[in-house]
Parts: sequence; C-alpha cells; structure tokens
Amino acid sequence: MEFDPALFVELFTRTFQFWWVIVPAIFLGLVVGAIPGFSAANTIIILLPLTLAMEPEIGLVFMVALYASSRMGAGIPAILVNIPGTAGAAATPLDGYPMTKQGRGQQALAISFVSSVFGGLLTTVLTLLAMPWLSQVAFYLHSVEMIVVMLFGISLIASIAARDTLKGLIAGFFGLMLGYIGADVVYETPRGTFGFLELYDRVPLIPALVGLFAVSEAFAVIEGESILSKRGREAMQKAGWAETFEGVRLALSKWWHIIWTSIIGLVIGVVPGAGAAIAAFVAYQQSRTYSKTPELYGTGHVEGLVAPESANNGVTSGTLVPLLVIGIPGGATAAIMLVVLQYHGVTMGPDLFMDNPELAYGPFAAMAVTYFLMIFTIAPLARYMSRITVVSTTYMSPIIISFTLVGAFVPRQYMFDMYLALAFGVIGYVARKTGYHTAAILIGVILGPLLETYFLRALKISEGDIMVIFSSNLGNILWVGLALSLLLPYLFQLRRAKQEAA
Amino acid sequence: MFDDYFDELDRRRFLTGSAAAVGAGLLAGLPATNAFAAGFPSRNMKVYVPTREGGGADRNLRAFTSIWKKYLKVNFEPSFYPGAAGRVGYEKYMGIASDDGHDLLFGNMGPEVLNWVVKKPTGFNVSDLIYFGQMDRDPGIVFVGRKSKFKSLKEIVEEGKKRTIKVGVSRLAHPATLGILALGRHTGAKFNVVPLSGGKRTRAGVATGEMDCGALPSGGIARRGKNFRILGIFDDSNPMPDLVKGAVLVNKEFGMNLPPLIAGARAFGIKKAAIDKHPANFKILTDTSNKVFGDPDYQKVLKKTKVPMELFTKSSSQAEIAKYVANITKIGEQYKDLLTGKS
Repeated sequence: MEFDPALFVELFTRTFQFWWVIVPAIFLGLVVGAIPGFSAANTIIILLPLTLAMEPEIGLVFMVALYASSRMGAGIPAILVNIPGTAGAAATPLDGYPMTKQGRGQQALAISFVSSVFGGLLTTVLTLLAMPWLSQVAFYLHSVEMIVVMLFGISLIASIAARDTLKGLIAGFFGLMLGYIGADVVYETPRGTFGFLELYDRVPLIPALVGLFAVSEAFAVIEGESILSKRGREAMQKAGWAETFEGVRLALSKWWHIIWTSIIGLVIGVVPGAGAAIAAFVAYQQSRTYSKTPELYGTGHVEGLVAPESANNGVTSGTLVPLLVIGIPGGATAAIMLVVLQYHGVTMGPDLFMDNPELAYGPFAAMAVTYFLMIFTIAPLARYMSRITVVSTTYMSPIIISFTLVGAFVPRQYMFDMYLALAFGVIGYVARKTGYHTAAILIGVILGPLLETYFLRALKISEGDIMVIFSSNLGNILWVGLALSLLLPYLFQLRRAKQEAA
Repeated sequence: MFDDYFDELDRRRFLTGSAAAVGAGLLAGLPATNAFAAGFPSRNMKVYVPTREGGGADRNLRAFTSIWKKYLKVNFEPSFYPGAAGRVGYEKYMGIASDDGHDLLFGNMGPEVLNWVVKKPTGFNVSDLIYFGQMDRDPGIVFVGRKSKFKSLKEIVEEGKKRTIKVGVSRLAHPATLGILALGRHTGAKFNVVPLSGGKRTRAGVATGEMDCGALPSGGIARRGKNFRILGIFDDSNPMPDLVKGAVLVNKEFGMNLPPLIAGARAFGIKKAAIDKHPANFKILTDTSNKVFGDPDYQKVLKKTKVPMELFTKSSSQAEIAKYVANITKIGEQYKDLLTGKS
C-alpha cells in the first residue's frame, strides 16, 4: 500500500475517460437519493445485472458515481421541503430548511453542494493517501469506543435542550425510548412492541424520519399559503444567479469547517456498521460546540448546514476502506460493490493492493472524479430546484404527504409503516405546536438503538462489568473529549458574557 | 453474506423493474400458461423468508426456485420478514399464510428451530411446521482472524482455562454457538459468547480483533481463506478438505459426542395443516422439489453462488430432516441454560 504518484496520475487520467458513465450516474444518483425510501444501495441492486454486463471497471465507476451523488441528492429535499431522503441527511434540515423558509433555498442548496463536493473530494484524496493508517481505525474503534462516539451525537440533544432545557430533554428521552422498541441484540427479547410484529426489528427509520420531519411539516405549513415567509417569498422572487454564487462563496469561506467535519465523517465511515447519520449528527454537534455563534444553529446558519453535508459525504469513501482492506463492507452500498468485485473473481484483502493496485485504488479515483464533475453538473441546478418552494401549500402539502407515505412503504413494504409515518407525523405536529424539538426526538430514534447495541455488546464482553466503558485508552481520551465538548460551550458563553460586560 | 445472491436477487429485481415499465401490456397479451391450468398449483407460490434480503437464505432460495419453477410451472414470490432471530417471519407465516399449499416458508432450520426451543413463543408451535427440500448442510466451525496468535483450537481451549475467551457469534440460539458453549462445558475452558447480529458483523468482530475467535457456519469463512483460518469443525467429517486444511473435528479432538451441529440447513417449511388438508398438493411439492436436486441446470446455478459445492445437498430426505429437527430440539433443550445466559 505504498504511495506511487505515477499510478495515481494514470488512474485519474483513465477515470476521466469514463465521464460518459459518470455524468448519467450522477443525475440518477441525485434522483434516487432525493426520494425517501430509495437509496444508492437498492438502486444499485436493481441495476446490478446492467453493471455486471459492463466491463468490470466501467461497472464499478458507475456504481461509485451513483453512490457519491445519491448522498448529495438526499440533502436536496431535506433543505427544500424538510424531507431527508435518507437517515444520513437527517441533520441537514436543522439549518438547511430554515434557510429555505427565509427564501434562501437556492443559497442553501449551493452551500450543500459545495460542502458535499469538497468534503467528499477531500476525504477521497485523504483516503487514497492514508489508506494504510485509515484501515487500522476499525481495529481500534470497538464497542467501548463506539459508545462514546454515539454519545457525541446524542449530546446534540443537550445542545438543543439549551434553548428550553426541560422540553429538549423530554423530547430527547422520548426519542431514546422509541429507539429501544424492538428485540434486544443479545437475547432477542421483544420489548415495548405492543404486540406488533412489525416493531420487533426496531422502529423503522424511514417512517420515523419522514413522519417527524416531512409529514408534520406538511400538517404545519398547510396552515399558511407557502412554506416561505413573506420576506422569504419576496427574496425568492428576486433571486437570480447571484444567489447561487453567494452560496458558493459562503460555503468556500467555511473551508476549514468543511475540512474538519468531513474528516469526522471519514473516520466514522471507516468503522464497519457505523453510518452517515452518526457522522452527520456528531459533526453538527462538534461544529456547534466550537462555534463562536452557537445560538445561531437551528436558525439557518451556514456552518450548521456545512457540517452535516461535509460529514455525510466524508463517510462515502470511508465505507470503502474496510471493504478493500479486510473484505468487510462498511455499509450496504459497499457490500454490493463487494458482490461485483467477487463476481469478477477479485478477492478482497491487503493482497489486493499488491496484486491489483488499479482495482484497489480505482473506486477512490472514480469517487474523486465524480465529485469533481459534480461541481459543474449540479451547482447550476440549484436555482431551478429551489423554485419548488414557491408552490402553494395547497398543492405542496398533499404532495409531500403522499410522496413520503410511499417512501415509508418502500423499504419493508409493510402497510404498517405508512400508518407509522402518519403517527410520527402527528407526534411531530404536536411537538412543533407545543415547542418540543422534533430533531431531538429523531436523534433518540436514530442513535438510541445504536448506543444500546454497542453498550449491551460491551457489557456482554465484560461479563456485566459497567467499568468496561472506561477500559480502553482511546475510549478514555474520547470520554475527555466528550466532557470538553459539553463543558466548553458554557465556558465560551461565560467568557463572552464577561467580555461583553467589560 | 454478501455474495452472488445479489446476482440472482438483483437480476430478478432488475428484470421486475424493467418489466414493470414495458411488461404489463405484453403479459396481458400472453396466452394462458400452465400456471393457470386446473389443479395445483393454481397461482404463484408465495415464500415467507424470516431473514433480511441478501443473506444466505435469500441466495439459496433464489437458486433453488429458479429451477423449481420449471417443474411447478409457476413463479415464486419471496417476501422477507426479518426480526427477533426469525420469529417475525415464522409468526407471520403461521399466522397469515394460506394452508392450501401455495404459501411456503424458507429458512435456516438449525438456528430457527433452536430459537423456538429457547424462546417458546406463544404465536406458533414448531411442530405445526413440516420442513422439506433441505438445500445445504453447512457445519458450524470455530475460526480466527489471519493475524490471530491462536494456531489451533487446542491453544484456544488451553488459553480459555486461564482467562475468558471472547467468541463472536451470529446470535445466541445458533448451532455454532451451542457447539462452542458445549466445548467449554466439556473442557472447562471459559467462553464468553457475544452475539454480533449476523455473519458480516461477526466476521468484522473477529477480523478487527475485538473478539478472540468466532463461531459461524463454515461456508462464508472458507471462501475468505485469506482473511480467516478455520480451526475446528462441529461435524463428523470435514466437508471441504481441499479448502479447509488444518481444522480439527471437535468431537474427535476433545473426545466429545455432540451430534453434527449443522449451522446452515436451509429448507422449505409448510404448515402441517396444509399437508393434512391437501396431501396431494404436498406430494406435488416434494416430488417436484426432489427433481430439482438432479437437474444439471441447478448445479450450474449453485456454482454461480460461489459457495463451496460440497456444502449443498445432493438430495433431500424427509426422514433425515425429521431426525435433524429432533436432534436440534433435543440438544437445544439440553443446553437451554447456556443459550439463555442462565449459567
């Protein structure tokens, strides 16, 4: 796995020649990423016979391009209509949608595209350069360490609760309680399922996601004429290309933010089983912690949009690392890529980098070229995509509800999931009207089961010794980091108050 | 886990998806086929799968039914009901499936029967289900990562007498888990089995060093020989001597008398009530499924799965299946305390 500049130059040159595969895959990925319930994984599954019929290299380039662009696509409805296409985009609407409501949808999309592209591009290049070290991450981040990583994400609830402590914590704990519904991971004992078999496999994420965000939003916006505020509508009517350029400028001005939040995504992505949702929430929480203006998060703050979008695109290249190094896919899409490589007789593992370096590094070259081409193909579309927000809520709300209910049905094909999405919609609507934060509930639903899984696993490993959570050096360093990230905002706030008083 | 089942799976999905666009009209114009002829089967077969799409059951099901449909002259429609170690799928099948022979279950008898023995869910009784058409016979094994310091199962056992060995397993109620626990009870070695929810995560747990070793069915590990080493087999013989070298037979090595712990034993299931009501339909099912085993096209399909061919059965015997289910039920009852963490 040594760095060979000549090999990389040749790889990139060669991959650019496949632009005719990459560009259609980018557009397809954007569409499937934007539809709730669909994802790169199930689209690649559907198209697998097509990719298998292609030359192996072309097929792989196609899948990688689809994978990368679908990640970006999931952010589009999250920003424009508060519907995250996947769990990985669940943190995107926190600041993306308020921007849209202010009539800055076009800007928000441009910020999202630039953060995604540069975050994805940077982490892909980093992965190429640091593969030997990155491949070791999974050997150090075990259950104990992952408990703390989960807590980084969950502590975002505390940040949200900072605005209204009691309501924020109630919403967060309510979400965590919902997240623990289902069979436990050790003894497979169903808990809190109310006898519904459909809940034995945990609360399904997509119905919870679209219900809490999209359906409740559709209920709420139907009370007005438009999802935009009056000023927002005026701003949208005046919006031209300048808005896109302003979005690009704003995102680029946060270049350092893009770098470090995308690296969070990369590191989390390398751990098999971790995912974009964790990365996005952890990045958002960290971004808020170290921000000079934490009070602006949740109101349409640029950094609050840059962080989750950079991080969830940073995950993309990370999930390929364990696949190529130890033959264990980091996520569902990586698993399908493994199928294609196996189909062509390629055996994963460290030997691949010596036996067939073009194939081992090829997916990363394809990903980098995809991100590069996305700058030119997607950014100009922000202006046109954002026009959807001017559609009257008379039409928009029923469309959102029907669209998302289908999305809730698709992954498991249970009618139950459509009812569940509606139930979450009602919960979300009541939460909005009574000042409880839906994002706090959702964080609990998404991260709660993962936290429980790692916690129970760690307890099983230690044979019930709770002190196992402090048993690893890396874990302890992370605990200190977590404590700091919870304390620092208050310390910063105190310092600012002192400075202002002085 | 993520093998060429995708090939079959996705080809089907792709074809389904493509056909949806252009096929509806064409299908409407087709002449009536045997699928709609009088007699059994009079409609497509529905198959309840108690696991997620994409696992070994899915892979094997698609391989088998791609040939079986030639003989039954109808298509198979799989539906997936994962959750609670197979219980969701079993309860759905026993609860809502028709008992005219058109609705079947397809699962992995070993872990699923064992799970029933351990949990005894109230929704169904496993004796109300009859298995047939067993496709594979994949024994449970003990394996380590390629960088592991353990070179033999004996070393693991010896170490287990000094400290607790962490063993990654797919789930608690699993023949391979039962094997490692029985080995510990027999030798005095202390094994702490940690369920990692599936073969992929178990392999990851072992490969990354979080677990000292793992216990799973052999197929998925044997195919990844460069990353893992198989050290022990819970069977009377090594089914893949050319592929798995240096592994010991646990019974022989440690003087035990465990029955073969077949961790991968995928087969179809049908409600006993369906057999009682329509014995002729069940005969058609068993007769036609038995023909699949001898079909040369079936061998070609199996080869494409990349699973070692030695693990697929050449025929299926009802008596053997009944014996296997009785064995696994008996040993499950015997080791129930270990599988439920009570001792």
